[in-house]
Formats: sequence, C-alpha cells, structure tokens
Amino acid sequence: MTQINTSDATAQPPSADDRAWLQYLDAALKAASPGHYDELRMPNGSLREPWQDFFATLGKDGLMRLPEAAKTVERVIEQNGITYNVFVDKQDLARPWSLNPIPMLIGAQEWQHIQASLSQRAKLLNKLVHDVYHERHLLSGAYLPSALVLGNPGYLHAMHQVDVPNDIYLHVVAFDLARDPHGQWWVIGQRTQSPSGLGYVLENRLIISRLFPQAYRDLRVQHLGASYRRLLTTLELQAQSIANGPVRFAFLTSGPYSETYFEHAYLARYLGIPLVEGPDLTVRNNEVFLKTVHGLQRIHGLVRRLDDDFCDSLELRTDSAIGVPGLLQAIRARKVVVANALGTGFLESPAIQGFLPSICEYMLNETLLMPSLHTWWCGETAAWQDVNPRLDSQVIKPTFANRQSTNFEPVIASLLDRDACDQWRARIGRQPDIYTTQTYLPFSQVPTFDGQMLEPKTAMMRFYALIGQDNEWHVLPGGMTRVAALDPHIVSIRGGGSTLDTWVISDGEVETFSMLPKNTAVERWRTNNELVSSRLAENLFWLGRYTERAEAMVRLAREALMLLSTNRVESLSTLNQAITDLAKFQNLVPFDSPSMSASPATFGSMLVRRLKDNSSGGLMDVVQSMQIAMRSVRDRLPAEHAEVPARVKSALLQEDTHHDMMRALEQVELPLAALVGYQLDRMTKDLGWRLLAAGRLLERLINQSQMITEFFGSAAVYTAQGFDSLLTLFDSAITYRTRYQQQQDIFALLDLIVLDEANPRALKASIAELIKQLSYLPDHERIVKLLPNFDRLKDSTTAILDLVKETTDVGIHVSDVISRQFFVHAAEQRFSS
Amino acid sequence: MTTRLKIEHVTQYRYDRDVILAQHLAYLRPQQTVWQTVTNHELFIDPPVDEFHTHTDAFGNPRCFFTISHPHRTLVVRGLSEVHKTERYAGLNLSNTPAWEDVRDGMVYALEQPFVWASEFVWPSPYVPWMEPLKEYSLESFTRNRPIGLASMDLCHRIYKDFTYESGSTEIHTPLDVAFANRKGVCQDFAHIMVGCLRALGLAAKYVSGYLLTKPAPGHVRLRGADASHAWASVYCPTAAGQWLELDPTNDTIADLDHVCLSQGRDFGDVSPLRGVIRGGGRHQLDIAVTVEPVDEAYLA
Repeated sequence: MTQINTSDATAQPPSADDRAWLQYLDAALKAASPGHYDELRMPNGSLREPWQDFFATLGKDGLMRLPEAAKTVERVIEQNGITYNVFVDKQDLARPWSLNPIPMLIGAQEWQHIQASLSQRAKLLNKLVHDVYHERHLLSGAYLPSALVLGNPGYLHAMHQVDVPNDIYLHVVAFDLARDPHGQWWVIGQRTQSPSGLGYVLENRLIISRLFPQAYRDLRVQHLGASYRRLLTTLELQAQSIANGPVRFAFLTSGPYSETYFEHAYLARYLGIPLVEGPDLTVRNNEVFLKTVHGLQRIHGLVRRLDDDFCDSLELRTDSAIGVPGLLQAIRARKVVVANALGTGFLESPAIQGFLPSICEYMLNETLLMPSLHTWWCGETAAWQDVNPRLDSQVIKPTFANRQSTNFEPVIASLLDRDACDQWRARIGRQPDIYTTQTYLPFSQVPTFDGQMLEPKTAMMRFYALIGQDNEWHVLPGGMTRVAALDPHIVSIRGGGSTLDTWVISDGEVETFSMLPKNTAVERWRTNNELVSSRLAENLFWLGRYTERAEAMVRLAREALMLLSTNRVESLSTLNQAITDLAKFQNLVPFDSPSMSASPATFGSMLVRRLKDNSSGGLMDVVQSMQIAMRSVRDRLPAEHAEVPARVKSALLQEDTHHDMMRALEQVELPLAALVGYQLDRMTKDLGWRLLAAGRLLERLINQSQMITEFFGSAAVYTAQGFDSLLTLFDSAITYRTRYQQQQDIFALLDLIVLDEANPRALKASIAELIKQLSYLPDHERIVKLLPNFDRLKDSTTAILDLVKETTDVGIHVSDVISRQFFVHAAEQRFSS
Repeated sequence: MTTRLKIEHVTQYRYDRDVILAQHLAYLRPQQTVWQTVTNHELFIDPPVDEFHTHTDAFGNPRCFFTISHPHRTLVVRGLSEVHKTERYAGLNLSNTPAWEDVRDGMVYALEQPFVWASEFVWPSPYVPWMEPLKEYSLESFTRNRPIGLASMDLCHRIYKDFTYESGSTEIHTPLDVAFANRKGVCQDFAHIMVGCLRALGLAAKYVSGYLLTKPAPGHVRLRGADASHAWASVYCPTAAGQWLELDPTNDTIADLDHVCLSQGRDFGDVSPLRGVIRGGGRHQLDIAVTVEPVDEAYLA
C-alpha cells in the first residue's frame, strides 16, 4: 500500500482575500447541463453549502494541485493493483479501477432523509423475503405477481419454508439512487444477492481522504470503519447463536475470474477472514468445513460473493463446479449463517419496485419514505396498456436480467425512432412478462475533475444498508457515486464509467473507529488467522515449484545457447551430451532431438522454437502454470509481480535468432529473480508460505540432483568447460572461485554443491532448509523421514553420487506425498440419472 | 378399479477409480396421494452410507440425501416399492372441462383477482424455457374456447404422432429446442415438450417422474429389469380429480392406473431420480434396471 503525501496543510482558512478566488472559482466551475439538478450550485449560481466549505478548505493551492492529485490517484491505484475485470472471459484483462479525485459531498440533512428511507426499505425487503418463503401473504393477497416471485429465476424453491437466524436474509442491501431535476431522491434499483462495492468504497475512501486530509477533517466527514465492524459483529453474534461457542467465518468468492475479485480479496483481508472458493469447503453431516492443511475446520458463517445458482452443485445448478455440494442442507439445518441468505436475488428485478408502495403500507403500515422510479411491469395487462402509449418516455429494462435468455441491455425509448419504438411494442406484446419500463429521468450532475478542469457529469449513487446487532439496518455513511462515460442514463462501471468517493457530512461527532492498524495501510485486522486452505496451499506449493523450475530452465537454455554460439569443438562431446540430456529431461527440446554434437544447428533451432511453443510442456507452459497458480494466490502478491509471467512470455515470443533469444533469456532472469526474492523476503511466513518454500526446495533438489548425476555420468564434469558449466548451472561459480581460484578439483566441487551447508545452493543445505520448513506442517515426521541424509556419508565420491542419484526420485516421491496429505487433487464431477 | 403394483428400480454406477466422497440426492420414493397409496418402500444402498437424511422438497416430494465418505468403486441403489392404485379419472369427461382461455385468464395477475397456486407452474424453468415455436405448435390443438381437457389430450396425441421415440437419441442435458427441432427424443423430452407447449399458452404444467406398467408382448413373459423410469406431463385442469390432468405423450394416453408417480416438479431438474456430486472416480459406467409388475403376477412368478 502506497502512502499519499499530498498535504494541504499550507491551505489557508477562507478569508476576505479568498473571496476573489472563490469568485474566480465560481466562474471556472461549469454549471450542470439544463434539465439536470446541479449538485454543486444553487439555481442562483452560488455554491451549495458543503461545496463552499470544501473549496474554501481546499484553497487556491489545493485547487491548483488537482492535476497532481489526479495523477497520485492513478499511481496509487496502479501500485495497489486495484482492478475491475471487465472482460471476464478474457482472463488477463483486468482494468485499473477508475476513481475521480473530487469527492461527492452529501450534507447532513440530506443524509438523514437517505438514511431513514434506506433503512426502512431494507427492513421492508427483508420482511418481503420472509413472507414469500413462508406465509406467502403477498402472493395470495395479490400484492406481488407470482411471475415476479415463483417465476423469477432468483426465487429458490429450495429455500421454501427455510428459517434463517434472526429471520435476517439481507445483511447487506445496496441501493442505487439518483436525483431528479428538482433535487428529489429516487430509488432506481437494488442489489440484494451479494451486493458488490463495499471493498471499492473503502479503497476509494483511503485514497481520497489522504488526498484532502484537512477538508476530510474540517468538513467532519463520517468515517466508515465502525459500520463494517458492526456488520461483522452482528454476523458473529448470529453465528454464535448456532455454534454455542467461538465461531469462524470464511469469505466465499466466485474466484479470480470474477469481475470484482479484487474487492473480494480486499474485503476478506480487511474483515480478517479467510478468502475461500467453493471447492475449499465441504459439507459433512450438515456442517460446513474448510479443507485446510490442518484437516477439516468447521465454518459457522459465510460472507458470500457467489451467486445463488452456483452455491450448491448438488441441488442447484448441477453444471457448476464452483459451488459447495450440500450447502443448502447445512443452511436448512441451521448450521451455518450465510450473508446474504440464498434466494434473495428475485428482489433485483426492477419490476419489483412498482409494487413496493402498497407492500410497505401492508407490511409496515408506513408510507414508503423514498419513492422508486415509476415502474411498470408489462406482465400486468393494465400496466402495459397504461404505459404503452407513452413508451417513448420510458427506459425498457429486462424483468429477469438473471436469466440469460431474457436479459438485454436497457433501452432508452426516447432515443428510438418511431419504427424502432413500434418494434419494441410488438416485442413486448409477444411476451410482456419479461419487460419492465421505468420513467426516463435526467439524473443530477456532480463535479468531476477531468485532468484539466472541473466538469459536471451525470451520476448515480450507491448506498449500503447493513444489519446491526439491534436487528435494524444502518446505512453506511458513505458510498459510491458512479458517473457515466457515455450515456448518462445507463451508468455502469462495466460500461467504462468512473467512481467518486462519497462523503457524508456530519453535524455531530465523527466516529473515528478504524479497522486498519495504525501506521500501516491495509493489513490483517486479526492476525490469529492461521487457517490455510488446502487449495491455497496447493497453489503456493506449485508456485514454488514452477518458479524454481522456470529459473532452472532459463539458466540451462542460456547455457546451451552459449555453448552453441562459442564452442563447437569435438572435445566437448561429453558436455554436449550432458546438456542435451538435461535439455530433454526439462522439455527444452523434443525427446527425439539430435544431440548438440550431432547436429548443433538443428538442436539450436529446436531449442529456440520450443522456448516459444506453448503446447509442449516447455518453458512457456511452466510460465503459464506459474501464472495460473499466481492468479489463485493473487491477493498475497503485489500487483507488479502478477505481470512477471506475461512479461516473460512476451519477451521470449518476440525473439527468433539464437543471439536474440540468449539476450531475452538474460532479460527474463531478472524479473524471475525479483519474484523469488519477494517470495523469500516479503511474504507473511504462514503455513502457506512454508509450502511455497517447500515446493521451491523440492524442485531444486530434483533438478540439481539430476544435473549432478548427468554431469558425472557423462564425464562432462572432468573437462574444463564441463566443470565451469556445472558451476554456472548451480549458480556457485563465484563461491568456488573465491575458495579455490582456478583449481579444478572434483572433490572440492562435489563438496561445494552437495555437502557444504554454508552454500545455500548445495543439496545438503537445501535439504536442511526443506526440513526446517516442513517442520511447521502438521504430521511432518513421516515426510522428513523420507529425505536423504548426507550426514552419514563417508567421503567417497561413489557413495555421494549414489545418494545424489537417489535424491531425484525421493524428491518426486516427497512431492506426491505432500500432495496427498495436504491438498485436494481429485476433481469433482456431477451426474444425474 | 384398483391395482397393486410392485416396482424394483436398480441404479448401478461403476467407476474407473476410487470415489473418495460421494454426495447424492434421490427421488425414489413414490408419492403418496389419494389415488396412490405407498404400501411398502425400501431403499438399499451399497456401499453402506455414512450419512442419510430424508426431507420433503418445496413441491411436496419425498427425497433423501446420502453421503458415502469412504472410497468405493461401485454404487448400487436399489429401490423397492409397492403401491396400491385406484382409478383417478374414471368419471372424467374431457369435453366437460372449462375452456382453456378461462383457465389461463384465471392465472393472469390482476389486482383483486384470487390467487391460483397452480400458477407456480406457468413460468419457464431451467429445462423448459419459453419458446415461440412451442406456442405456435400447441395453438393447433388449443382452438378457440376448446375445453382444456380435450385440447390437452389432442396436444398429447399430436406429440405422440409427430415425434419419434428413439432411445439414445437425446441425453439428459439435450436442450428442449434441439429435441423439438429434430422431432425425436425419449419420454423425458416428450414430457418437457408437452409442458413447454402448455406453458407457452399461459397454462400451468408439471413434469412427472415415475414408472409405467408395460404389457409383455402376447405369448411372452415379462422380462425383469427391461423397463426404464418414465416421465409424463400434468396440466392444471380445475375440474379434474385433484385439479390436475396427467397425460403421457409417449404413449398417447391419460396417466392413471398403470402409471406410478414418483415425484412432480417444474421439470426434470427438480426431480431427477438420482443425482450426485462425487470426488474422484474417473470415468463411470451406468446401468439402470426397472421392473414394474402387478403384485399378483409377482407372487405367481
């Protein structure tokens, strides 16, 4: 996490002198487009109160520094790796998060209205969910059409008559709000299943509050930490009621390919709960367990960011591999709290909005405090007849966006010509149920900074109602303002919009609770979090092995290319043979390739070709596997490291000649080494890290023992070039020269690369280090016992070489044993008959 | 008229490699209704299960979950059931059922309109999406003001006539539009198509999973295990016994005494007889053997 040091301490409080610049500012700030409510100014042109205060505190200097501030924001986002995966199917295209430096300001009075309205709505929606899964009064009383509930893919029959702790289904509800030209607030829609954004809201706040520390303080902006804390406490209390003791939560993500995976990882870390994927969990006797390196650990609560359909591959979508088979049984048995509860997705249909006013009267005996945008569900004949003549004033939306066959991009009918509009009428007439219309409303415009000047942009705001211990919903005092890139009415992040941190001004005390530890940006809030899931452990273990393997392959390929370019003398045949064999073992050349001596040109071109080939198990594939492993542990690595595999690949792909390829290999050694360095020094040394280290050391043992065996077996080591070559491949040339200068002493060499515990690259040192790392793992004794022991060897070259030869097979065997003991390696499959 | 039927339904999975963990969900216990009394039901599972839970689903079907958490190479699930059936549609006169439009309109949402629970089965479901061609196809049977019983029977007859029954022509996951376009399939597809046709008109229709008593060819004895599980459709018809009329488009008949109902849902996905998620196993081979026989005959044999 990068710290921001844009201090505005030099800014002066507003004085008479500053009025001049305020006037100047006034002129510089463009008014909102006609027909839109201007968040910044009143109709008479003067700035609205919170903005007056904001710009006054910002001062002239602060204003002048906005371009710099914008760059800071971009830099921090890049360095912190804040992304939003836009093209989820093209896996590598994560787009940097877009955040405007100007915050959106909401005054205290305004906020009271929003808070009261949204907590009322959250309460109402929760009651509504309970009713449709139990008494169904809303259906039998025709408050809600059956099509929108029982006919909605978001309604889960599997949740029928299921009771959830405290009857709370919606722990978090997100509301999208906008203001009409008169400044009145309207609810546009709601997200109830697993609302996104809470992580981005935090990240936005961290960045922007540091950009304007004085304004943030002086305007008395409400802090966010306490709300997150309250949510977590409430969840824990609910889980305690079913656990009768201490509870453990997990954050269930849909995985690294999800659009918002960044925030899953971020939120999990912030809340201090392990980030898990479906296959990490298993249900036994209706209880949920996390598969960890320490065996099965009971989980009492899940914060989920996985859609309903995918949650249980036994009962729900049986074609999905990312769920937890049996989860619904655990839910029905009340052995786990799931936030949000399953089966709330049907509330996301815009059509529901049209029915809420009467439902509110019926269920709460209250009037809905904030209206929904006028909504017509075309499946109700009267509604469709009513809105049909005015279709051109409407936005046409899918009633069931949650079913692929009935989903479409919303259409603003006023932008259509008459023919197109009539075509829509016919289309709606054919299957009215799946269409919903909402009145087109010009949303308010907020000031944004476009890099040079302040520019008003059309905005929609997202706020969050979170459940508290009192079973009431509290609205997070802050949120996310989204501004449109193109069409002002369809504001979406996916469509290339941007976001604004949203400040709620307090007229009282500011609660400054923070879940972030002092002096660090984002770290684990709780450190007693030693649970390492088996899948994470497996990915880290293989990341260790692949990184080491990639390094070894690069070194060997480079050595081979160098030999090819410099020496082609007959006397080198033994060395050529050793390198050829090793290159074959490591898949650097095909197995039927001629040796370097027999046909250096063919061997060379085969080597260069295979370095660029991604279907032969060669370097490209190793780097690819590394990349996949890294993706799954992405929240543990800095963003710039995530790019290393891609950089290695593209560097190699560009080169054709021996010489260029050699240079490219040289270039990729550095980022690979940086990756290893980071893994060694900067990662938290938990059990996962121990397995990463173990993976790297095992790979090294396998690879190095093979090299020694090959160099001695082929007698290459007895030639001067072979001797040097082996030292180079062991990365031990400097150590050897320091000790023995130019002597060529076979036993000294063997001592240095096998027995010398002071040489970190010697086999014995690797084994000692491996034992140290393994000792942190449960039940490690039986693994350690398998490793070769170089201590009891007599100083006999043959004895040493025999044990080295054995080490290769032992290394492969130990890797298998570790896999079987700690990882889940058999894939799940589903069928029905 | 009554009859007593005995059913044996054996499902066997053989795996290439050890299955480490298997979680299954079975809908193998016949439904208890006014016209179908379950006099006996036993479920034998080999290897022995580690967990077993019974439960009634949202549609009222009995089902059971079982888990085998030790390695195994084969799974045999053998359901033995005995039911006592009484004739359901004896006095039904198809021409004396309400006009189909009236039934449809009764389920359309409008303020002050009484709610009809059957409307739950009007909407598209995962295996039976809404398809315009289905509507066109069924409108040929559903002419203006035609009694829903007659029209449904006619639709059943047309599906029987227009579609080729071809075992192996489709798989469990063959989409409806493919089976419809090819005009062939197995009983499951016939049932799905019929359900889809009825829903396309705004009528409520269920998918029924069960068994059928088949008659051995004249001069032949009944072959044990030669049958398969069966499926048909059920249409909401307020004047029929139990308000639903069960029709079997695979056999062009009303489903009554010879049909044993296991469970009913929106489509196959809700009520597949046996499903599972397993870890390990490699490839598998599946064998299903079903025998349905009259109890008297069974005792004679």
